[in-house]
Amino acid sequence: MVSTKLYTAIYVVLFVSATVQVLVEFAGLSYWLAFGVIMVLSAAKAVLVAAYFQHLRFEPRSLTYLVGIGLAAALALTLAASYSLL
Amino acid sequence: MTDASPERDAAADGGHEVAHDDHGHDFPGTGSIKRWFVTTNHKDVGILYIVTSLFFLVLGGVLAWLMRIQLLAPRGLGEGILAPVAYNQAVSAHGLLMVFWFLSPFAFGFANYVVPLQLGAKDLAFPRLNALSYWLYLFSGILFGVSFFQGGTFSGGWTMYAPLSVPTFTPDVGASTAVLALVLFVASVTVSSVNFLTTMHRMRAEGLTLRNVPLFSWTILLTAWMMLFAFAALLAALLVLSSDRLLGTTYFAMESPAGALLWTHLFWFFGHPEVYIVFFPALGVMAEVFQTFTGRRIVGRKWFILAMVLVAIQSFAVWMHHMFLTSINLQVKTLFMITTIGISLPFDLMVFALIYTMLKGKIRFTTPFLFVFGALLLFIIGGITGVFLGAVVLDYEFRGTYWVVAHFHYVMVGGVTALVGGLYYWFPKMTGRMYDEFLGKLHFAVYFVGFNLLYFPLFVAWETPRRVFDYAPELAPWHQLATVGGFVLGLSFLIMFYNLFKSAFVGDPAPDNPWEYATTAEWAVSSPPPLENFDGTPTYRNGHLEFLDAGEVAPGEDRSDGPTGAAVSDGGVTASATTAVTADAELPTAEAAEVEGPSHASIWPFVLSAGAFLVLLGLSPLQDAAFPEGMVGAAYATTTVAGGVVTLGSLVAMGLEPFHGPVFEEGEAWPFAGIDNGKVGMWIFLASDVVLFGGFLGAYVFTRVAFGWTGWEPIPSDPIPGLVNTYILLTSSFTVVLALVAAEKKHKWGLVTSLGATFVLGIGFLVNKGLEWQHLFHEGLWLSTNVRASTFFLTTGLHAAHVIAGLVIALYLTARAWRGAYLEDSRSVEYFGLYWHFVDIVWLFLFPLFYIL
Repeated sequence: MVSTKLYTAIYVVLFVSATVQVLVEFAGLSYWLAFGVIMVLSAAKAVLVAAYFQHLRFEPRSLTYLVGIGLAAALALTLAASYSLL
Repeated sequence: MTDASPERDAAADGGHEVAHDDHGHDFPGTGSIKRWFVTTNHKDVGILYIVTSLFFLVLGGVLAWLMRIQLLAPRGLGEGILAPVAYNQAVSAHGLLMVFWFLSPFAFGFANYVVPLQLGAKDLAFPRLNALSYWLYLFSGILFGVSFFQGGTFSGGWTMYAPLSVPTFTPDVGASTAVLALVLFVASVTVSSVNFLTTMHRMRAEGLTLRNVPLFSWTILLTAWMMLFAFAALLAALLVLSSDRLLGTTYFAMESPAGALLWTHLFWFFGHPEVYIVFFPALGVMAEVFQTFTGRRIVGRKWFILAMVLVAIQSFAVWMHHMFLTSINLQVKTLFMITTIGISLPFDLMVFALIYTMLKGKIRFTTPFLFVFGALLLFIIGGITGVFLGAVVLDYEFRGTYWVVAHFHYVMVGGVTALVGGLYYWFPKMTGRMYDEFLGKLHFAVYFVGFNLLYFPLFVAWETPRRVFDYAPELAPWHQLATVGGFVLGLSFLIMFYNLFKSAFVGDPAPDNPWEYATTAEWAVSSPPPLENFDGTPTYRNGHLEFLDAGEVAPGEDRSDGPTGAAVSDGGVTASATTAVTADAELPTAEAAEVEGPSHASIWPFVLSAGAFLVLLGLSPLQDAAFPEGMVGAAYATTTVAGGVVTLGSLVAMGLEPFHGPVFEEGEAWPFAGIDNGKVGMWIFLASDVVLFGGFLGAYVFTRVAFGWTGWEPIPSDPIPGLVNTYILLTSSFTVVLALVAAEKKHKWGLVTSLGATFVLGIGFLVNKGLEWQHLFHEGLWLSTNVRASTFFLTTGLHAAHVIAGLVIALYLTARAWRGAYLEDSRSVEYFGLYWHFVDIVWLFLFPLFYIL
């Protein structure tokens, strides 16, 4: 499926990008720009873990949709509830 | 309540005395008490669900009687038979018991019994988990019962609105116990949803595509999907509430920003889908019974299904119509008014489909039909009166009045009406005996009169305020009428209990299919069905049900006088039960079945549930994370520890027990074809866990928005310990990957080392987190310091609990790998990895949100 070498490379990327997240915080960017960069990095790491470590990339797409539905429900709750306050 | 059930003994009469003692599992006959503690068979579990849920119906019904007696006249404080707080407890417990412990489990009793038969499966995908669902359900109900004796049960209404639900206002230990009982109930529901979804997607007979699945099974499928996500949100809400009550966090406290509003969001995000979760199975019963007793396939079957799918999706987008009188903004109210009116449209289609089916068919007024027909009328009234509440302006007037009470009783108890019809409908199948038709019709007549006498006056007396026992004196006659109706409705069940109990023993023997024109597969097997449901492998490859048999000549000539193929189509396919004689290569592998035949007995689901019960009972008196002083506190603490030992021990025992699920030939498995049942189950579970963490993170984001996003400082002043933990978790994910690689290469020591490393890294994560928390405690920060601290400790604490659970599994896997396991079959390592990586992913979001942003 995937070689151990690729798994190792992904692990290194994850490790480095976690470090970058903290560096971004100290880089003196504006709050919302830093927020955006950091969340995008988190999402990218999550996608890497799901795609390769959980090998969703190599499974039937239905499993990905299944997780996506859960994610959509969680986001709908979070965003709509927060919006209702504004 | 599980003893001496009529169904059980009759099942024994009906030739159910199977005593399988192969595979080392002692499986006694249905007449034995032991059978009912160890059984994992879906039909047994279904009967257990039905009998237990009827017990809770009686309990909830008696509470309702107490309320109705109190309401005979407007009362002041201390007047009538119930003290004020006792009245509040009766109201709250009645609602909780009826919605959670009666309605859904009653429906899932039928689902357990009927769905595998309708699918052509021999059992559910995970029979032991199915037994576990039942026992968790029973013990959660017992825990709720215990709460009455701990100073008083929860008294804040079934909606558990904050801040009334925190100990400041409901200080009794019993109130905490009731919340914990719900937590246990949700665990049962989650296990059940995963099991049903895996089964229904993966284990349908060949040719039984989703669009051909019978309508009752369709409703259960959609119900299980809604349960999976909605109950995960409820679990988040309940865990936060438990934490507020037991550990002292302050999410819902008066001083927290928008704490009361947070509860309503979390609760109703669950609560509105819950309406359809309890109603859909009733709709399924209506559809089946309408088809059978009109002799007509439902009109617009495809559109009927499509409408249900639409409702199931839309149900997650209407929750704020329960919140029109809160401080949410007008734009969002308007939006949710529109979605609410929108969700009534698919129901119109369903109602018209049912009515038109009656017009085009030839009705036979049997007891099941009378009940479902009554249910349709009641649902129409309940539905129309609900549309009033969906309009923002009208809701300003109706909210908190008996209009709401009357409306949702017409809907919910209307659903019960259909399910009672379902009980009569499937009673012959379950017991092998016919009920008395005259008494059945009499029950319907008394029930229907009682129902309307009880609930209709509540519309007239709508100006009565909800949840209190004082009202304008001129409304008293209506309330007295309702009380009379309440007794008529309740007593009508005596007729049913007498009828069914007696018939279970001495009723006329039921044929395979007592209902002419019933075409679904459960009617193609004997009444009651054999232990493993079908003699051969069911298939629909030729458009109707056939059994592929290994034998030369198929038995069952008597079945051919049942419904015949094309003449009576149920819809998609017909279960015409013409047993096919086939001689092709696709026969069930008889040898394999003998070597690894399905098991039917395990005591561990029962023991595990008892352990979980003890843990939660022991935790119930906690306040601010401390047990009470003295002997009582020590007794509770001991109970917790003992329960923990029992729970862990039975989990290990369950893992080690040789148990074989049902053998099945993969038939229709859309959309999960080619993926192992275990993996599908794990992913479905993880999808619900996404919503659980989504609820926690949603609560955090919501509270932070209410607080002012940028004014909110992260609790840890230093992100470095969090970063170190990120490194540790990422590394442990990598070692799990290496473990799976080693297992696939059959490299034993590589596997043991990688799993062991994962375990050590996990411990490292917890130690690092512990040190960090210790540091924060020394700085004077505690869970109850403020809502910022509460969200930090609870959310990362929930994650840590996931890590701990993972470590228990990792330890178990390491020990077994040491003894040489998983080299032939590495699936356990793979499934553990899926879970562990998920926990890793969650941390990837917790870290920035709680440490750096």
